[in-house]
Amino acid sequence: MTRGFAPLLGLVLCVGVGALAWATEGFRVITSEGARQVSIARHPIPIPNVRLIDQDGHTFSFGDYHGRTIFVDFIYTRCPKLCGELGDDFRQALSRSDAKNGHVAFLSISFDRADDREALQLYADRYAARAPRWRVAMPYDARGLSMLLQTFGVTVIPDGMGGFVHDGTIYAVDESGRVARILDPGARIAAVPP
Amino acid sequence: MTSIEAIGSRSRISATAAVRAYLVVCGIVLLLMMLLGLTMRLAQAQWIDVEPNLFYVIMTMHGAGMVGIAGLGGAAVMWHFVRRYIPVSTGIFIANLVFFLIGAVLILGAGFIGGFAGAWTFLYPLPDHSGGLWSANGAAAYMAGLLVIGVGFLLLHLDIARGIISVYGGLGSGLGVKQAFGFAPEKDGPPPAVAASTMAAISNIIGIVVGAVVLVLSLVNLYVPSFTFNTLVAKNLIYYFGHTFINVTIYMAVIAVYEILPVYTHRAWKTNRAFYLAWVLSTLMVLTVYPHHLLMDFAMPTWILVAGQIISWLSGLPVLLVTAFGTLTNVYRSGLKWDAAAGLVFIGVAGWAIGVIPAIADGTIPVNSVMHNTQWVPGHFHTYLLLGMMAMMLGFMTYLAGPKSPSRLAPLGVWLYLIGGTIFVLAFLAAGSASVPRRYAVHLPAWLPYDRAGSIGASLVVAGALILIVRFLVSLRSPIDATP
Amino acid sequence: MTRGLVLVVWGILWLVRTPLESDMALHMTVQLPLLIGIGYMLATFLRPHEPRWFARADWFGIPGLLLVVFATSFWMLPRMLDLALSDPWIDLIKFASLPLLAGLPLGLSWSRMPGLGRAFLWANFIPKLAAIGGLYLAAPTRLCAYYRLDQQTTAGAALIAVAVALGLSWSAVLFIGSPPFWSKGGENAVERMRGAASGGP
Ligand code: HEM
Repeated sequence: MTRGFAPLLGLVLCVGVGALAWATEGFRVITSEGARQVSIARHPIPIPNVRLIDQDGHTFSFGDYHGRTIFVDFIYTRCPKLCGELGDDFRQALSRSDAKNGHVAFLSISFDRADDREALQLYADRYAARAPRWRVAMPYDARGLSMLLQTFGVTVIPDGMGGFVHDGTIYAVDESGRVARILDPGARIAAVPP
Repeated sequence: MTSIEAIGSRSRISATAAVRAYLVVCGIVLLLMMLLGLTMRLAQAQWIDVEPNLFYVIMTMHGAGMVGIAGLGGAAVMWHFVRRYIPVSTGIFIANLVFFLIGAVLILGAGFIGGFAGAWTFLYPLPDHSGGLWSANGAAAYMAGLLVIGVGFLLLHLDIARGIISVYGGLGSGLGVKQAFGFAPEKDGPPPAVAASTMAAISNIIGIVVGAVVLVLSLVNLYVPSFTFNTLVAKNLIYYFGHTFINVTIYMAVIAVYEILPVYTHRAWKTNRAFYLAWVLSTLMVLTVYPHHLLMDFAMPTWILVAGQIISWLSGLPVLLVTAFGTLTNVYRSGLKWDAAAGLVFIGVAGWAIGVIPAIADGTIPVNSVMHNTQWVPGHFHTYLLLGMMAMMLGFMTYLAGPKSPSRLAPLGVWLYLIGGTIFVLAFLAAGSASVPRRYAVHLPAWLPYDRAGSIGASLVVAGALILIVRFLVSLRSPIDATP
Repeated sequence: MTRGLVLVVWGILWLVRTPLESDMALHMTVQLPLLIGIGYMLATFLRPHEPRWFARADWFGIPGLLLVVFATSFWMLPRMLDLALSDPWIDLIKFASLPLLAGLPLGLSWSRMPGLGRAFLWANFIPKLAAIGGLYLAAPTRLCAYYRLDQQTTAGAALIAVAVALGLSWSAVLFIGSPPFWSKGGENAVERMRGAASGGP
């Protein structure tokens, strides 16, 4: 072995392992979704007080839920597949968490600016969603929408066929109105009632 | 002695010492693993009591350990002889042994401390679904052990491939492709040891890197369970690796036949066009044979199954045929004086030939769906591994020990090994055709006769192997002969 | 002249980064390798100026090639692909670090690695590339937030195609080798054995 080999090797190893550990949150995640999951669990993010409008045309904001846990998903009403799964899941979860469990609420937020109150109503009827236990809502304006998408970390990209690609992740908002948990991709809540 | 000769004899001494080191490890591990095998057989025969959980640990260790030393022993045979024809690195050869020992420690720790019992094939995602029997660290240590062993073998085969290329120009010429297709005269072809080593290098390099991929993916899955991958693909890759690796052990060990028998018969091994053609064909087929493991997987496309069936009938056959035929012509009327080494090598060819017959039966789809998970399968592979591959390796050991060492007991060792081995594998095959399932710790009363016959045979095998191995160890006292 | 060309290509790549990154397959099989290639070219110009201490400490090229492994693995993590897309500053770091921390050490250290080591690296690199491709091809969910599932599938297929092409050409070289396969070599194999053996220890 030559002079300087061991220190150089050590340096490369430390920097390399350090960089990979940083990028994978300590070798736990490889995707940006995973990274967000870990960071949110550690530091819940307060949600800005965005005004939304629900299927009945009532306006509300996250502040109104104070003291309750909310499960949130992001949908668009023309969505052919994934949102159907999400809707079924919320309906099942709702039927299991009975009246006693009134401190849990559900919220489906549309990110499609083409949706209107009527579309929301149709979507809500499809899954028997009744406000205020389960609101199907959309932000009042585009600014509110982008603030929400940013806070929750939702990426929506056009699918090239007039619809959208989104990941159908479910979020849990805690009693003090912070995004506290991101469920695993594809995980559903009906199996595990809160 | 000129200085060049002095260097030559010194490197011969260190090379022989390295081969001896390999065989010491093989001999001791083989005995230990045989005792584990005997323990399983006795437990199935209900002559001793073994907790089922422990049975599966033992089964995993026996499988992994045996496959590992089959590889190691084959490598020792191959390297010892191929070194006569191509330049190879003794350092790399020793490095492989070191990697092997590190891997073996990890694997033994995984089994006997970590409780890992997911069978040597570590079928994904089983390692991560232990039902609480073993920890993630146990499974990880097992797979890391395999990975370390794989690194050593990969380096060894690459080094041999490099040596072949440096002398023959390319792996194709090393395999004798030109001779096989009549583009070059037969007499210019590579010696059998080189052709066999070329095939071993090609198959194992590809097999090992494929195995490394599944191992790495499974390891990631252990620690990041949300990271999953397609189980059918994983199964394909694992069997591709496992099947290739175990197949190649016999193609390495068979070099002992090509090199040792001629010493006894004073006739060179005949390499003709058919011989080269056989090696070329078998190389191609070993690379494609694995789908027959998946005959039960209806999820596989039909054409793969059909191709797999045809190829699995034929895969080892070409090499087996030219070897068996070559052995007979080499021995016939040669006036050879049989001794333990020649006998073992000869038994090896016979065991290999006979062991392939049940394999061919098993490769047929209708038989396979009935038999594949019965003891027919251990019956088949114990025949060609215990009576074929390991017999060749023990023959090599006995040959190295030389005629000088006490040899009165050696013939007894060979007879015990042969008779015990035959009873042992027949018991498996008979049980298999009576539909006794493989990999069962606890057997029904109706199956006990098979298990008991098997246990008796196994005890004889262990006794025979003990004699041969102890004889080899004793022979190590004499210094290495430096003359070529 | 060529030196300038390399810098120009580097600049052009930065200018066309949006179209190249808009597709996952292009991002992974065109942009990233080109960036590494730029560094590799730089190594041919910079070799005369390579610091003495580095040439000495880079024993058999091991530290240098280890750096290559780390740098390339880092930028192939789905999370880093995402970050490079969403944050131009991170992309800038990628544009600097892939040539300088992957391509450049690759060019400098590769020739120091003995043949056996190179073969070992090739033998490991090719199947891992195919495996990553296979994972992308088969993953039921999206691994990158900025790419659609169909793009991910295409990227997976593209990676597998690259791996297969590399694997086939490598095995062809080894199998056919030199001297040309169809020549009637072999007569002098024994002499070559002697030559090769006396070259070694
Ligand atoms: C005295 C010699 C041996 C005995 C007594 C023995 C015994 C056994 C037994 C009882 C089993 C379990 C059968 C079952 O599934 O019910 C087994 C499995 C196995 N044996 Fe042996 N064996 C011996 C030699 C060998 C040799 C020489 C090799 C290979 C070179 C070998 C490789 C294996 C393998 C790969 C398995 C499969 C393990 C599994 O199913 O995961 N054995 N052996």
